[in-house]
Amino acid sequence: MSMSVFRALWLGLLVLAAPSLWAASLQAELVDSAGQPLGSAVISLQGPLGEAPQAAPGLMDQRAQQFVPHVLAVRTGTAVSFPNSDDIRHHVYSFSPAKRFELRLYKGTPSAPVLFDTPGVVVLGCNIHDWMLGYVYVTDDPWFAVSDEQGRVQLDALPPGRYRVSLWHPKLADMLSQPGGELQLGEGLSTQRYSLAVQAAVAAPGSAPKSSFGDAFKQARDAAQ
Amino acid sequence: MLRNSFQTRIASVLVLLLLVVIAALYVAVQTATSAAVRAQAREQLEVGSLVFQQLLEVRGRQLHDAVQVLAADFGFKEALASDDRDTIRSALANHGARINAAAVMMLDLDGSLEVSTEPQISGAIAQRLSEQVMQRQREGVTIFLMPIAERIYLLVQTSVNAPLPIARVMMGFVVDQAFAAELRELTHLDLTLVASQQGQADIWISTLSEPQRLQLQASLSSATFDQVQRLAEQQYLGLQLSLAEGEGFAVQALLHKSLTQAEQAFAGLDRDILLIALAALLASLGGALLLARNVSQPVQQLAAVAERVGQGDYQVAIAMQRSDELGSLAKALQSMQTGIAERERQLAHNALHDALTGLPNRTLALERLGSAITAGRRTALLHLGIGNFRAVNDSLGQEGGDLALQQLGRRLQAALRPGDSLARLIADEFLLQLDNCDSDSAVAIADKLQQLLLKPLHIGTQDVILDCRFGIAAFPGDGDNPEDLLRRAGIAMQDAAQQPGRMQLYQRGRDDARQRQMLLIRDLRRAPESGELLLHYQPKLDIASGRVRQAEALLRWQHPQLGMVSPGEFIPLAEHTGSIQALTAWVIEEVMRQLAEWAERDLRVQVSLNISTADLIDPQLPQRVAQLLGQYQVPAEQLIFEVTESGVMLNPKLALQVLQDLRASGIGLSVDDFGTGYSSLTQLKRMPVQELKIDQSFIRELDEASEDAVIVRSTIDMSHSLGLKVVAEGVEYERSLSLLQHWQCDTAQGYLISRPLAAQAFESWLGQYHEAANREVHS
Repeated sequence: MSMSVFRALWLGLLVLAAPSLWAASLQAELVDSAGQPLGSAVISLQGPLGEAPQAAPGLMDQRAQQFVPHVLAVRTGTAVSFPNSDDIRHHVYSFSPAKRFELRLYKGTPSAPVLFDTPGVVVLGCNIHDWMLGYVYVTDDPWFAVSDEQGRVQLDALPPGRYRVSLWHPKLADMLSQPGGELQLGEGLSTQRYSLAVQAAVAAPGSAPKSSFGDAFKQARDAAQ
Repeated sequence: MLRNSFQTRIASVLVLLLLVVIAALYVAVQTATSAAVRAQAREQLEVGSLVFQQLLEVRGRQLHDAVQVLAADFGFKEALASDDRDTIRSALANHGARINAAAVMMLDLDGSLEVSTEPQISGAIAQRLSEQVMQRQREGVTIFLMPIAERIYLLVQTSVNAPLPIARVMMGFVVDQAFAAELRELTHLDLTLVASQQGQADIWISTLSEPQRLQLQASLSSATFDQVQRLAEQQYLGLQLSLAEGEGFAVQALLHKSLTQAEQAFAGLDRDILLIALAALLASLGGALLLARNVSQPVQQLAAVAERVGQGDYQVAIAMQRSDELGSLAKALQSMQTGIAERERQLAHNALHDALTGLPNRTLALERLGSAITAGRRTALLHLGIGNFRAVNDSLGQEGGDLALQQLGRRLQAALRPGDSLARLIADEFLLQLDNCDSDSAVAIADKLQQLLLKPLHIGTQDVILDCRFGIAAFPGDGDNPEDLLRRAGIAMQDAAQQPGRMQLYQRGRDDARQRQMLLIRDLRRAPESGELLLHYQPKLDIASGRVRQAEALLRWQHPQLGMVSPGEFIPLAEHTGSIQALTAWVIEEVMRQLAEWAERDLRVQVSLNISTADLIDPQLPQRVAQLLGQYQVPAEQLIFEVTESGVMLNPKLALQVLQDLRASGIGLSVDDFGTGYSSLTQLKRMPVQELKIDQSFIRELDEASEDAVIVRSTIDMSHSLGLKVVAEGVEYERSLSLLQHWQCDTAQGYLISRPLAAQAFESWLGQYHEAANREVHS
């Protein structure tokens, strides 16, 4: 299902970029430090001034008790609406310094979208569903995109020129963005491969709390025998 | 002594065995209980450690849950987000109070302490705490123990997520005396918790008493932990747990199980074993003594009986009714006693009785006689002898003789008066002891018995009449001791043989005669060798020619002490004692020697000599005589052997053979003492004799008118008609000689002619006699 959402979004972007077909395109492949495709990673480009695209309103849906998309990249000053597609209520909040807000228990779409006016990472949670985790990456860069599950990302209608590349992923240390160097884009499609200092997620076992002395008892009993 | 040692031995063996068993049992029980106590204690320690662990875990989980709740509380998160420390502290205290947590802390993500409800946690402690927290965090541990200040905390930490971690909160329980007491309550184990911190005093929490704790403290510090420890008179099995260890601190738990207390549960068992052992010891001691007594008393009793039996008492009653081995021993002893008594009685009987007749023997007879003498009772002895017992034995055989003796014994026994007794002395001699009886009564009784014994005895198919003689001696008249009386009765019996009534009272002095006889009998044997014998020659006159050409050699004995002994005295003795043959042999040889000597001087005399009955039945005699004749070169015709009719009668066949052999060698034979015995003409006719000697009893008082004259004259006639010469002995008077001459008797011998003379004298006498005769003829 998320695939179709991404695809729709992708199509939307293409439509938006259509007028400037003459411009440059960037096709990038994002991988983690092990070389595996890295999804939900954000790439943002700081390019020649002007020609910046209009900031579109953002949308962070909640479906099947998950934030969709997991990572939403928005330009500073974007208002993001938090529609609730589930038939239960959610209590979306964030204590992140970039944006503190709280949408008390609601159903459907809340009355007002939330304005993200400070660049930074806003971590989203749901007070009644602890496992719900989402990120809104607020950036001043005019061009940005989020990688799909294959780690691919494509930016079109870029004015040719020189760009500074930033990379981000939720699992980067201290959630700080990683610089991606500079990039000279000409007309046509460019292909790039970026590696992020992210290690493949290891599924943490959801076990009982572990004590430090369980082994001590076992050892003592073994010794006694 | 014996009984005691026997009892003691049985008892001590039993008691010793029992002691060994009890000791082994006790050791086994002790080992087993000790092992059981240890195993149980170890098990309790293990269970206790499990419980301890559970208790900690439960507390930890409780904390964990509480801290989770706290961390998830949105309001708390909001408070945290507010960054207002007082608000945060109050929120922490509030949640801590809900579960009685001793301390609640908030730390930021790098572990530094931000807020604490416990004011003591600060500074260096806080620094150390945060290091530990981060360490635990890295280890993935959320529950742990740690000493803080003067207390030991059970700490649980968790992160506060909004929704990513924004801080840590930590809750802590104090692990204190109450906790230890609770554990003890649950497990009955003592617990000691020791926390050491660098630079700070160790923390001790213990359910042990203070002295024990101090002792433990000392031992822990000095050496490594020992499993079994002795703390204030109690033994403990211990389990050591290292609960936490970190930079500069450590938390240890020691679980103690008192072995002493556990062993107390078995103290009752020990006491019971001791009691049972004591009871068993006493019972076995008693049993052993009883058993020993039960055995030793009867044994003692039997030993006493055996001793009395040994002393000859066979009437001991053995009162022992038992069915065991001792009972059969008693029975055996009883039957042994009876057997010994029976055999001893038999032996005593045999010793004092004659086996053949069953009558008392000589010993018993002497004893009875002795007691009669001691009692001073007048007693007469009848000594019975059988004159013809040898002949009876010969004709009936040994068995027949025995039967005869048995019948005689029965017959005598039947004739006894009450109080009298009968004994068999030796082979054919019996003794009757007559109570209250003098010699006269004894004679009467002997006469009666004599009549009784004239009736023949029936032995098989034959009738036998025994020639019984009685010798009588009486007490006190004939002696005053049993031996003398018996001997004298015996002498009388010997003398009785010469009496017509075959009965003789003991004659005073007969004893001396007997002594002389004994002496003679003894010395007679060596008389021939010692040269005490000599021969006298009595001339025999040839009546028709008036010449003397013959002589009779008569034996004389010059006894060294008794002087000259008459042949009438020693010849019968020699005949009785069997030495007569030696005498005869000597006589024969001496005669031959003499004849040889005379022959050298040209003197030829025909010498007659007497041959005894015993010689007559010696088949070797003719051969010996022939040898001597050769040796001395004496013509057989110079010898005449005189034999008696009765001598031939004893064994006629053998005697006749001997006579014929002698006759064949040329020796003349003469019948001596003719007329005194049971003379038989038939017998005379069969004998190869040439001469007949009329006994001197017919000749001495010969008178023309007397009866003797008829006998002598007819004997001479008869002899002449049989072709025999006749010699008359004992011619003492001229008148007798004249008659004999008239009756044509051939030869005369007697004092009228000459008494017997020694060889030398005979030679001289013969010279003078022939000289005178020649002178008479020539004148």
